[in-house]
Amino acid sequence: MSRTTVDHSLFWNREISSKLSYDANAPIVKEAKIISLSDVNDPSNGPLNNPTNDLPQGSRLLAVGGSIDDFDVELLKREGANTIFVSHPLARDPLDRLLQEIPSIEWIHSRSAGMDFVASPTLTSFQGKVTNAKGLYSSTLAEYTMMACSYFAKDLPRLLKNKGFKNWEKYNVLELRGSTLGIVGYGDIGRAAARLAVAYGMKVIALRRRPVPDDLCSVVYGNDKESLNRLFAECDYILCAAPLTAETNGMIGKEQFDAAKSGAVFINVGRGPIVDEDALVEALKDGRLKGAGLDVFATEPLSKSSPLWELDNVLLSPHNMDQTATFTYESTSFFVEENLPRFVRGLPLLNPVDASAGY
Amino acid sequence: MRFKVSLLQKTRQTFQAVQRLQSTATTAAQQYTWADPARRHYKFWNRETDVTGQYSYLIGISPESLQREARIVALGSDEADEALHQGPLPLGASLLGVGTTVEELQQNVDKTSPNVLFVSPNCPHAATVLPQVLQAFPSIEWVHCRSAGIDFIESEELVQLYTHRLQSPKPLQITNAKGQFSSSLAEYALMACAYFAKNLPLLLQKQQERSWHKYNVEELRHKTMGIVGYGDIGRAVAKLATVYGMRVIALRRHPFLSRDDPYCNVVYGRDQESLHQLMRESDYIVCSAPSTVETRGMVSAEAFQHMKPNAVFINLGRGPVIDETALQNALREGKLKGAALDVFVEEPLSTDSPWWDTPHVLISPHNMDQTATFMHEATEFFLRENLPRFLCGEDLLNPVDPVLGY
Repeated sequence: MSRTTVDHSLFWNREISSKLSYDANAPIVKEAKIISLSDVNDPSNGPLNNPTNDLPQGSRLLAVGGSIDDFDVELLKREGANTIFVSHPLARDPLDRLLQEIPSIEWIHSRSAGMDFVASPTLTSFQGKVTNAKGLYSSTLAEYTMMACSYFAKDLPRLLKNKGFKNWEKYNVLELRGSTLGIVGYGDIGRAAARLAVAYGMKVIALRRRPVPDDLCSVVYGNDKESLNRLFAECDYILCAAPLTAETNGMIGKEQFDAAKSGAVFINVGRGPIVDEDALVEALKDGRLKGAGLDVFATEPLSKSSPLWELDNVLLSPHNMDQTATFTYESTSFFVEENLPRFVRGLPLLNPVDASAGY
Repeated sequence: MRFKVSLLQKTRQTFQAVQRLQSTATTAAQQYTWADPARRHYKFWNRETDVTGQYSYLIGISPESLQREARIVALGSDEADEALHQGPLPLGASLLGVGTTVEELQQNVDKTSPNVLFVSPNCPHAATVLPQVLQAFPSIEWVHCRSAGIDFIESEELVQLYTHRLQSPKPLQITNAKGQFSSSLAEYALMACAYFAKNLPLLLQKQQERSWHKYNVEELRHKTMGIVGYGDIGRAVAKLATVYGMRVIALRRHPFLSRDDPYCNVVYGRDQESLHQLMRESDYIVCSAPSTVETRGMVSAEAFQHMKPNAVFINLGRGPVIDETALQNALREGKLKGAALDVFVEEPLSTDSPWWDTPHVLISPHNMDQTATFMHEATEFFLRENLPRFLCGEDLLNPVDPVLGY
């Protein structure tokens, strides 16, 4: 599924991009009439739901709610609501309803980078603008990625076990320098990880839909099955930072783990359903994979009965490796301070999403 | 192998060494300009960034470049020295004999007088044996140490011999493996920082309990890292820290040498107040200093008191540089977030060492630079870099000063 409609120059990265770079002198051409589909008790939504200062000129918050019953849909229709800010974890159905009932909606902004939580046929065929929080969480996840690689390279499981046994046992460690990192889904997160990996002296191979050369990657492959298997065969560390779409669902499974290089480590910060979790467990148990660093799972929270909990070659985190004290708050601020002013001035919005592609 | 010096000897050593240091301090600026990585004639070698094999290539293509012979004796050996024992050695170099005591060497080495001594860290009682060997074979003009740390061969006798020979027509040169192990240790340092930033102790505990417990993680970006002992290892750590977006404070004897270093934001000198300031400002402290008369006990109880309450302390230099008891107490009292230690005063740690039960500390058995090939590569460095330079009459890389201890 190709994503041809988005303008890459509009992607925003928290570390690199300049802030407030829109032309503030451009005249305001329309009003933003906002529906906030979010948790009213979540302080991270404060910059929109409960701002200390006024919202940007030309913006008006019409309603806040978490389910369709929280909204007076007829009223919103009469008011001509045109913007939806969505962050509520159960937003899929309410968003679907709102889109169907209110034809004046022209813009949806997601507080998260992932769009899979609100994916629906209505959204896929939505003709208006969709934007998200791409580029806001990348550097933290890149830090986690290098830590997960080092965790296995220096054999931390062994180190921690030895401490318990008061065992001073010298063993050889591996260097990341000179090893190869493969990145499946070379978006903002993938690029942030590549930047760090290159500083460590790792070789980087990226998997992209269009194999365009990149200054951080030694090699770039296309996103066909053969290239994916080749990536697994050539890389010591494989990072999955892809979004969950119809295309990527179940993309990584037994075939890839069979192809994996000896001693390969798999790291997933994208979405759980991209990986066949049963096949992953098998590969970890029989040693086809040396280890895995997993921050995302097919079902979250991860069920207590999942075998992943007890494998000692798994670094398991509860989808929190991008969860800093301020990250969701910063994401709401991004909507309020960057995209709202652009919308009311008719300027291009940052972080466009191709609704039909799902990312 | 750690050579334990008696307290009296150590005190005498300290007093005399400090006296010598005061006299060399005035010429420090002239002496050490070659120690600045930005300078063209930088005398230290880094495994990651430096060109390799120039001189061994030169000897290969033009034997006229040979200025002298190298007649080598080796003190201590293990399988990592294979390349030295089996060869081939560069043209003009020969291995005369191997041993761990003067007697052994005198037996094995024939009448030709050796001029090069290669010392391995596995040689038992190296600090006692080395001066004896140098006295038995006064023709030795160059000692190369296979490791980076030279604390295991330091002694009052060595310092006396070295200083005495400085006046003679053939001064003694001592070189080491500086720059050989830096990148592995830099990886470990950043891993240790991330280990605490992402709260791995909590994560692993929850994993054991099968508890899905979301908590906030910290970023390394925009945090401050203080590096105590800004040598090759310190610089490799700073290089990574910079890419992570951290602010770096470097602490070294000669701050002016790092004045234009792109990897550190501030450089402090080695006075106590500077160290305390570094402790006050840093979220992560990496101690990569060698163990010398000056640095022993440098990170004292008082220094630890200046730490931020959620600081992380990492030691990958030498155990004796820090006050271990003070750190243990600070950890028990929760005065810092945690520590990661690869080096200790006592190595190996005995089973009744208090370190095993100290909370919030990541302990590794001095192996965070121990790759499968690290010692082999150190021997290769001697054979492919310094030995050819010696043979061609060029300056040797990685000079060390036994008076300073590094």
